[in-house]
Amino acid sequence: MTRIVLSRRHFFQLVAVILILVLAVVMFVIGRQHTVLLDNKTIEHDGKSYPAFSIVEVKINKEDSIELAARDRDKADVMGQRHKITVTYTDKFFEEHEVVKNFKVPIGYDMVLISIPALVADLGQSIWLQQFIPPTAAVAPVVEELPVEDDLGIDMGEF
Amino acid sequence: MSILKETGGQKFLGIIQNNAVPILFGIIVLIGIPLSGYSVGYLGQEIVVRIARNSFLIIALLIPIMAGMGLNFGMTLGAMAGQIGLIFMADWGIVGIPGMILAMIISTPISAFLGWMCGKILNMAKGREMVTSYIIGFFINGVYQLIVLYGMGAVIPIKNPALVLPRGYGIRNTVNLITIRKTLDNLFAIKIFGISIPIATMLVITILCIFVIWFRKTKLGQDMRAVGQDMEVARAAGIKVEHTRIVSIVISTILAGYGMIVYLQNIGTLNTYNSHMQIGMFSIAALLVGGATVNKASIGNVFLGVSLFHLMFIVSPTAGKNLIGEAQLGEYFRVFVSYGVITIALVLYEVRRRREKARGGRLLAQEQAENMEENT
Amino acid sequence: MNNLRQFIRSFGWPRIIIGLFLLSLFIIAPFVGVKVSTSLSDTIVRFGMNGVMVLAMVPMIHSGCGLNFGLPLGIIAGLLGGTLAIEYNFVGPVSFLMAIVFSTPFAILFGFGYSKLLNKVKGSEMMIATYVGFSSVAFMCIMWLLLPYKHPTMVWGYAGTGLRTTISTEGYYLHVLTNFLQFKIGKTFMFPTGMILFFALMALLMWAFLHTKRGTAMTAVGSNPVFARASGINIDKVRTLSVILSTWLGAVGILMYQQSFGFIQLYMGPFYMALPAVSAILIGGASVNKASILNVVVGTFLFQGILTMTPSVMNSMIHTDMSEVIRIIVSNGMILYALTRKSEVTR
Repeated sequence: MTRIVLSRRHFFQLVAVILILVLAVVMFVIGRQHTVLLDNKTIEHDGKSYPAFSIVEVKINKEDSIELAARDRDKADVMGQRHKITVTYTDKFFEEHEVVKNFKVPIGYDMVLISIPALVADLGQSIWLQQFIPPTAAVAPVVEELPVEDDLGIDMGEF
Repeated sequence: MSILKETGGQKFLGIIQNNAVPILFGIIVLIGIPLSGYSVGYLGQEIVVRIARNSFLIIALLIPIMAGMGLNFGMTLGAMAGQIGLIFMADWGIVGIPGMILAMIISTPISAFLGWMCGKILNMAKGREMVTSYIIGFFINGVYQLIVLYGMGAVIPIKNPALVLPRGYGIRNTVNLITIRKTLDNLFAIKIFGISIPIATMLVITILCIFVIWFRKTKLGQDMRAVGQDMEVARAAGIKVEHTRIVSIVISTILAGYGMIVYLQNIGTLNTYNSHMQIGMFSIAALLVGGATVNKASIGNVFLGVSLFHLMFIVSPTAGKNLIGEAQLGEYFRVFVSYGVITIALVLYEVRRRREKARGGRLLAQEQAENMEENT
Repeated sequence: MNNLRQFIRSFGWPRIIIGLFLLSLFIIAPFVGVKVSTSLSDTIVRFGMNGVMVLAMVPMIHSGCGLNFGLPLGIIAGLLGGTLAIEYNFVGPVSFLMAIVFSTPFAILFGFGYSKLLNKVKGSEMMIATYVGFSSVAFMCIMWLLLPYKHPTMVWGYAGTGLRTTISTEGYYLHVLTNFLQFKIGKTFMFPTGMILFFALMALLMWAFLHTKRGTAMTAVGSNPVFARASGINIDKVRTLSVILSTWLGAVGILMYQQSFGFIQLYMGPFYMALPAVSAILIGGASVNKASILNVVVGTFLFQGILTMTPSVMNSMIHTDMSEVIRIIVSNGMILYALTRKSEVTR
């Protein structure tokens, strides 16, 4: 049995490499961009119907709030996993309500869909937040673009 | 006797000659500014933006100069590594400051490897490091194209269709970096006299400057200077010359990679096949305009150089248009000046090196003559 | 076995790899539907196009000035000659002759200034040569816009001033050498006799010059400057002559190129033209301070062979044109190899 001798120097190098890798993973997690789709549509769940709001104001984190009419859908780009959503709506007695929810976007999801009526009805996150995979539409063939050379750096006006 | 003595006039001439490039450039800029008709405020804002954008890249050139390896045309290698980091970052959808940091982390091992290779090759070509590093830039550009234009999307998985050419593999001509655009610059910006100053970027550059100053004083930095002075003497003193030279290039390449990321976060789009090629040339030109030479460069040269060079860059198309009615002319002019400045600086350096030798001889003769007089 | 090793060492691995690569391309070609005769014919044509420019490397290597990365300067002299010949309305074969005549004074003038500069910077000629080339190209970009050319085929139609980026040589010296004594074997093989003869003439003159007294002096300066100085040779003068010769050959070389290619490319055209010529002569076995006419012939043929064969063979094999990338890697790799040869560092 040969013992692996770890010199002090190598030990620190190893620690440094591990730290950098950890940092990379952390950056990957907190820097991941997710697209949140906000959906104000009537939703059916367990035989019950949750109607869309005629008008609702949605705010994600500290971004500008978005106004959604019935059957509207809008999107917001967010960075990282944990976010706060604030929904402001007026009920039939003209009273203003504010619902604040925290949610976490799973790391693998590029896009999630949030149903506002389900959220306000407090149906549980697994129902009002779902992964959304955009349908791949048939795209018209694009003209092949090939690298252009700018030998003299004429286009470096932005240097 | 009188022929041997160095007169005041000669000294003055020496100062002028030693700073010929910045003086010449100052004159060009002074003529150009009124011709272009830009306001001082506009020019000031542009200068601030460009100092923040380019200084990092240019500072990356300082360390090989210290080690006597001349202007590191191989900094394009680092730029390519930085761009590869950005491509992955864009593909994985990492945004903002974390995206930039991740791109830097990805670029580091690539830069380090390329820098190590470059250093190895330069050790085989002592005495013509500059032309060799220049050709290495071209050579690795071929490898870069092979990987990015043919490998990515085919061998290396790229899932974001916005990045890939319509044929299914290879990265597009331009990669949109809107997700990190100006994130560092706007992280903390303040306005002074109507000029917005990106404090965060400036802070990063300051830290780098402090690093370089500190580095000069470390054992490794001292070794590098010794190697730069005289390789054989350094070897006799027990310094590992080859190793030291490689390390200097590796550091420079890694910094160039980071510099490229800082530069592109300001620009906001990556020209996949062009951005890196000219960056070396323009950075070197800017450093030389600041009064640096092939064997001597300071942080002061960097900032003076960026300011003067970019004033010329901003002013010349408009000045050309107003003067002759052709903007194209001004654009050709600034390219000509960039190349011309490098040519003149290289020639002046060689000529000065010879004159320094002659001057040293003359001073020695003068000293000896004085000694003789004292003795009699 | 030892002999083989000796041979490999003297010839250099990169050259063997490149040679084998080209050979394999020629072997694969018929199987993927590429006609070898067409490819061979194309290779010969391109050999003729580029040969003189590669030949332009020889004098400067001989006099110890290193690889002439400043070739664009000579090319600019050639461009001036060509455009002047058209401006004064010389047509047909005469225009080619007149283009050479017009470009000669420019080549001598440029070469003279260039050599004065290079004599000031002995030891770092190559770097400075590169930048002399680049800055002269950038400078001429300005001049092409400003020079008072008037001929309607050359200037921008709407403005009436400023030269176009590409000018056709049709009706002037297009194919004057290619078609001279040209013969065909079968349908696909064409031999551009005139071009090859012209190249042979230039190569012969070069060879003869190198064997005159001045020529041997040049070689002496390159291989052993101390000895040359001791035997009373004026080193600077010899170097000046070699640079002028190199520049003039560059001018003639680009005219050869245009007469076959069909277009005069101004502005950025000459920018990177030094690199293919440099790598061609290196592939042929030359080094930074040693080159022969044979190196020129072998190198140009190998290099142009690869340039013609890779696109067609690659395209029919994998439906991708990777030739540009291969060209970049091969040519710059070759230059790197030559720059890092230890035995040749002594100047």
